Amino acid sequence: MREVAVLGAGMTPCRSRWMEKTFWELAQMAVSEAVRDAGVHVQEVEAGVAGIYNDIFEFQAIPESGLQGIVGLQNKPLMRVSNGGATGAYAMLAGYNMIASGQYDLMLVFGVEKALDCYDFEAESATPAVVQTIGYSWDPWFERPLGAHASESYAEVIQAYMDEYPGDLAPRARARIVELFCEHAQNNPYAQRLGEKVTAEQVLHSRYVVYPIRALETCVYTEGACALVFASGEMAQRIKERTGREPIWVTGVGAANEPYFVGNDITRYKVLHRIYSDYLATRKALEQARLTIDDIQVIELHDAFIPQAMITLAEMGVVPLGRGNDLVEEGIIMPGGKFLVNPSGGLVFGGHFVGGSNMMSTWSVMRELRGKNLEHGLVHGTGGSLSMYGAAIVLERRV
Amino acid sequence: MPRRKKEPVISPAMLPKVGITEVQAGGRRYLLRNDVMFTAMQHAQGEFSDFFLALRDEGKVFGHRCPQCRHLIIPPFMKRCPACNFVEMSKEYVRDLGVVAATPVITVFAPSRFKGQVPFGTGRVFLETLDGKLSDTAMLIRVRTTRGTIRPGIYKKGTPVKIAFRDERKGEIEDIFALPQSELTAEQLAKSPLFESEIEWGRLSEHEIGEATPQLQEALREVKSHFQKLAEMIPQSARATANLANWNRSVNVQTGGGNFSFAVKKGKLQVRDETAEEADLILTVKDPSILLAWLRDSTEGIGEGFESPALTDLVVEGTLVLNKPELETITRLDRVPRSLRRDHVLAR
Repeated sequence: MREVAVLGAGMTPCRSRWMEKTFWELAQMAVSEAVRDAGVHVQEVEAGVAGIYNDIFEFQAIPESGLQGIVGLQNKPLMRVSNGGATGAYAMLAGYNMIASGQYDLMLVFGVEKALDCYDFEAESATPAVVQTIGYSWDPWFERPLGAHASESYAEVIQAYMDEYPGDLAPRARARIVELFCEHAQNNPYAQRLGEKVTAEQVLHSRYVVYPIRALETCVYTEGACALVFASGEMAQRIKERTGREPIWVTGVGAANEPYFVGNDITRYKVLHRIYSDYLATRKALEQARLTIDDIQVIELHDAFIPQAMITLAEMGVVPLGRGNDLVEEGIIMPGGKFLVNPSGGLVFGGHFVGGSNMMSTWSVMRELRGKNLEHGLVHGTGGSLSMYGAAIVLERRV
Repeated sequence: MPRRKKEPVISPAMLPKVGITEVQAGGRRYLLRNDVMFTAMQHAQGEFSDFFLALRDEGKVFGHRCPQCRHLIIPPFMKRCPACNFVEMSKEYVRDLGVVAATPVITVFAPSRFKGQVPFGTGRVFLETLDGKLSDTAMLIRVRTTRGTIRPGIYKKGTPVKIAFRDERKGEIEDIFALPQSELTAEQLAKSPLFESEIEWGRLSEHEIGEATPQLQEALREVKSHFQKLAEMIPQSARATANLANWNRSVNVQTGGGNFSFAVKKGKLQVRDETAEEADLILTVKDPSILLAWLRDSTEGIGEGFESPALTDLVVEGTLVLNKPELETITRLDRVPRSLRRDHVLAR
C-alpha cells in the first residue's frame, strides 16, 4: 500500500436552498476551489470519485454523468459512490484505495447534493417531501410501508441506548453540546447557520421532532458541495516542491456496516442500543494509523442527531458507553477539554449536503491541523437505517 | 390507517400543476419548474408473497429457522442462513405474543405519504416461538394503544405485546399491528387471530382525570377565557383565518377542572361551555393549566426569545391525549400564534 495525502480542499457555502445554482454549478465551484487550493491544474488529475447520495434530490438517475466534463474529468474514470449518510466518507475511502493501490497518483474526490427542490404541494412545505425522499431509503416490503424515516430510525437507536443506560444523554448535556457546536460554526465561513446564536435554554424549549429528540438537536437539510485533491506520496512531494506547502496525510481508514435487521446477537444482527459500525470503523482506522483514540486531538464526526453523536463518541472510545454526559460534565469536549469536536459546527450547524458532508469534515480537520499546529485528526461518517453505516479516516500533519 | 379500495396511492393534492414560478434572489431572477419524479409500480413481493399471504389468509405470522444454528428470524427476510454458509432455512410459525425490543418511537412529522397518520408509534417486537423462546430478530411494527393516541409511557423495553390483525387484510405489512397485552382481556389475549374490530378503541374515560379541585376549576376558567379571546383575535388575521380554513371539527375538551368544547368552522374558532354530543375529536388533559403556556403565547405573546410552546409537543409528551390519531386540528392551531404575530394582531 502506498501513502496517500490530501493536498487541498474546496467548499461552497452551505445553504438550505440554492435557487441560484444547480448541482452542476455547485460541483464545479467546489472542484475549482480545491484544485486552486492544492496548487494543481485540473487537467493533471487522472481520475475522480463523486459522492452523491440520492438520485431523487438531484432529480436525475446517474447524476454524475453530467458532471464528467464539467469538473474537468473528460475521458477519465469517474466513479460515483452512494452510501447513505456516509456517502462522503465512503467516497473518500474509494479515492484513498485507488491511489494506495498504485493505479493513480492524482485524484479528485468530491461530493455534491441538492435537497430542497423536493416540495410537498399538498402540505405547501418542502420538509415532508424531503423526509419522504430520505424515507425511500428503507426497504419497500417490511419497513417503509410503516412510515419508517430518518429521525424515527435514529430515535430508535437513541431510545434503545437510553433503555440500556438510563440517565445518560441527559437533555441538559445534549443542549450544551448544541450550544457548543453553534459557537464553533461561527468560525466556519461556509456554515449554513453562520450568525445564529442558539443557547442551551432554547434547545430545551424547542419542539419535538420525534420524542425525545428536539428540533434544535437535529442536522439541517443542506445544498452544497465539497471537493478534495488526493495524491500519492510521490506526487505529493512533487507538488510540494512547486507550492511549498506540506500536505495532510491519510494514515488510516476503516469502515463497517451493520446488518439491516435487529436482534440480540451483535455478530449477526443490528443491536439497537449500539452503533457498532462506528466502533469497528474507528478501531480499524486507528489500528492502521498505529494510534489510539487518546492520540487524536480533533474529531469531525457525523452528528445527524446530537444524542447519536454522543453515542458515536462513546463507540469511538472518547468516553465509555453509558458515560456520554461526561463529554460535557467532565469537560472532555468542551472548550479547553481533551478533544476538539466539530470545529466546523458539524452537520447540525455547518450543514449536511449528504454526498459531501463528510468531506466538509475533512476540510475542517485539515484546517484545524494546519491552523492550530495539531498532529492527528479523525473524520467520521454514519448513515443508513438505524445508523448502520460507519466509516472513519485518520488524518495526520507531519511535524 | 387502512387504505380504502380505489383510493389513489398518492393523494392527487400532492401532484403539482404544470407551471413555472419566477423568484428573486440577490436582485436576479430565477425559475422554479413544477415537476414530479414519477414511476408507478407493480412491485413484486416475490419470495415474501408467502409471508404476506399468511397474514392475509391465515391471520398468522411465520419466520424462517436455520436447521444448523437454530436461529429463527422474523420477518422471513432471507431463505438461506449466511452464518451457516447459506444452508436452507425452513418456515416456522410463531405466536402472536411477544415483547418490544426497546422503547418505541413516536412520529409527529412524517414523510409526505404518511402525513395523515400522525401521531403514530413504531417499535421492534420479538415474537414467541412455539418452543417457548423468542425469535432471534425483532421486526418493525406499528405499536398502538386502545386508549387514545400513542404517547410515551405506554410501551417500554420488554413490554409484553399482542399482534392484532386488520379486519380487511390486503397481504401487506400494514395488515398487523401491536397492542400492549395489559390493555386486553384474557379472552382477547387467548384469541388468535385477534381482529381490530374485536378491540374496544378510544376508551378515553379510563385516562385518569382525577377529582376536580378548586385550583383546576379556576385554571379551566382561565383557559376558557383565553380561548374566547383567541377566537376573537383570529378573524383580525388573514393568516390565522387561512390556518383554520377548509377544516371543520367539533372538539370536546375534558379536563380535571371540568369540560368545554370548541369548534373549528369556516376559518373561525368558536368556544362553548357545554360539550358537543357527537364531537369529531376528544382532547383530554388532566391539568388544564398545561394549556396556558400555549394560550398565553397565542393571546399575549409570552413565547418571545424561545420557539413558541406547541400543543403538538403536549401530544408528543402524552400530557394532551387525543381519542384518535388525527393531529391536524392541533397542528393547525399551532400555526395560529405565529400568524397573529405576522399580521400584527399580536404585538411582537
